[in-house]
Amino acid sequence: MNETSMKLREQTIRSIAEILEIDAATVKGSDRLREDLGMDSLGSLELLSSLSSELKIDLEVEEAMDLRTVDDAVEFVARHVSPEAARATVGGV
Amino acid sequence: MRPSAASEPGRRKAGAVLTVPTVSASESETLELVVAQCERFVRRSVDSARIDSDGRLSPSLISAAAEVGLFGLSLPEEYGGLALSMKATGHVVQTLARADRSVAIMVGLHAGLGTRPLVRYGSESLRLQWLGPMARGEVVASFAATEPGAGSDLSSIRTTLRREGTALQLDGEKSYVTNGGFAGAFTVLARSPGIGGARAHSMVLVPGDAPGVVRGPEEHKLGIRGSSTVGVHFDRASVSAENILGEPGRGMDQAHAVLAWGRTLMSYGCVGAAQAALGATLAHVTTRRQFGRSIGDFGATRMHTARMAATVFAMESLVRHVADLDARTVGIDDASVIAKVYCSEGAFDVCDQAIQLHGALGFIEDTGVARMMRDARVTRIFEGANDVLLVRLGVALVATRRDSLRVFPASESREFGRVQGSIDALERRVSDALESARVTHGVRAVHQQVLLQRLARAAIALRVAEVAVCRAIAERGSDEQRLGVHAAEQAVEVGETWLDRVAHAASDEASADTVAQRLYARHGTPQRGATPEA
Repeated sequence: MNETSMKLREQTIRSIAEILEIDAATVKGSDRLREDLGMDSLGSLELLSSLSSELKIDLEVEEAMDLRTVDDAVEFVARHVSPEAARATVGGV
Repeated sequence: MRPSAASEPGRRKAGAVLTVPTVSASESETLELVVAQCERFVRRSVDSARIDSDGRLSPSLISAAAEVGLFGLSLPEEYGGLALSMKATGHVVQTLARADRSVAIMVGLHAGLGTRPLVRYGSESLRLQWLGPMARGEVVASFAATEPGAGSDLSSIRTTLRREGTALQLDGEKSYVTNGGFAGAFTVLARSPGIGGARAHSMVLVPGDAPGVVRGPEEHKLGIRGSSTVGVHFDRASVSAENILGEPGRGMDQAHAVLAWGRTLMSYGCVGAAQAALGATLAHVTTRRQFGRSIGDFGATRMHTARMAATVFAMESLVRHVADLDARTVGIDDASVIAKVYCSEGAFDVCDQAIQLHGALGFIEDTGVARMMRDARVTRIFEGANDVLLVRLGVALVATRRDSLRVFPASESREFGRVQGSIDALERRVSDALESARVTHGVRAVHQQVLLQRLARAAIALRVAEVAVCRAIAERGSDEQRLGVHAAEQAVEVGETWLDRVAHAASDEASADTVAQRLYARHGTPQRGATPEA
């Protein structure tokens, strides 16, 4: 995993922790958003909405409905962020 | 009672499912008997004014309800229930609500949220143990999800279910538990860390007499004063491991599924309450004389009564539509939200109009319509606060692109051409507005609450117009035809108004944000981004 991917992962987990008001250190990539983190579909969309704002990327709402795990969310966001934009954005986080 | 649509195949149209309380001929016979018994029970045992002043349902009333089978409506026959469909169960709840809302809520909650989780997700041995006593009314069922810190935001639930040896232990506090004062069993939604997932939720059936179950005093409420509403504290309550309902860890999904059922039965109650208020109003305006004639003869009064009747007609069409979807095992998540929001607001509006048309008499408790309005108020709050449901519906609409927003095929009848044309135009505008929200905001639309609510309201108006006109077509030639068209025209107008406001959602929200921030700052409690409580 390169540095950009790692920072995207950190950012995603930090956003999850903020939304759920839990310790980010307890969140793993394999955690299921629903069963392990207690997020419903609206919570998943709120997560992506926050990431969309923070990373300044456009995410289509329909595509966001099928995410199951934290890793899914990270990969979904990574697909939509250009390498340059990701470095510029997460570099300052 | 009307014949079932199924018994009249030649007359069956798309909207026929909206015209009758039930669609199966055999169920229709059972329902006819149940409704007759229900009406007898109401005449003998239900005194709404007394229930309101006593602030409770007496044990003798609950026994009388049990004797006529009102606790077995929706329960399977093999456990002594009547196995009525949602549509037929709802019709009974509607009938009860015409007489008294507290009684209707006790029965509706038992038939829906109280027993539905056990019927749908319980193990065979658990069902064998509980459903018979529940069908006979020996055990009244209850549902406990809300907590002091978790209203509409169920993900904030803190009540926790843990494994303790071979059993389970439940700790936490539930609020506003309907039927809680006399319930013999609670279906509890709890966090279940390590049971089905690290932060999973599970539903568990808790016997009312389990050690560690402590009920609080009855809440003193604005309305539905006879309905039992208490807090329930679980202090190391011990429960058998087999009392988990369904797949461990899937409690949140299961709760949402049964909430859709509960919301629909509650919406049926709203229809009954609105029918009672409309009936009282029609009796008053046709007998009360002013300026030498009945006040019902004045054009302004007729506008009110026609609007009330159209609203009731649309409410009834809407709940039957949801029940029909359920009978066809089509998901009712969104449809039940549409019905709940429209029916709870419609019932309150009709009750408010009833008071207005009664004049000063309406403000006097003895007249009865004031109690109806008090009883109706809570339905905009419980089973999902309307503000929150509108946001969720807006999210669902934006997140799911559909070929059509329509649920019934358009009629080719020229007789209904004008209103059909206006519904078509409304659908195009709603679709365009949803697409615009997707393109403009993407996933960030989820945080545009005002926009989402307005889109949801426009979509609700579209659905109302559609079901109203479909039922009008199916009931062509009757009084209902004119009523349905009137209801559809009203709904289209409402939908168009909300769509006009969609364009201003961002500026309206920004303006309100500025005002609210200053208000909160003045009161020292700025609460940006807080979720409204239910």
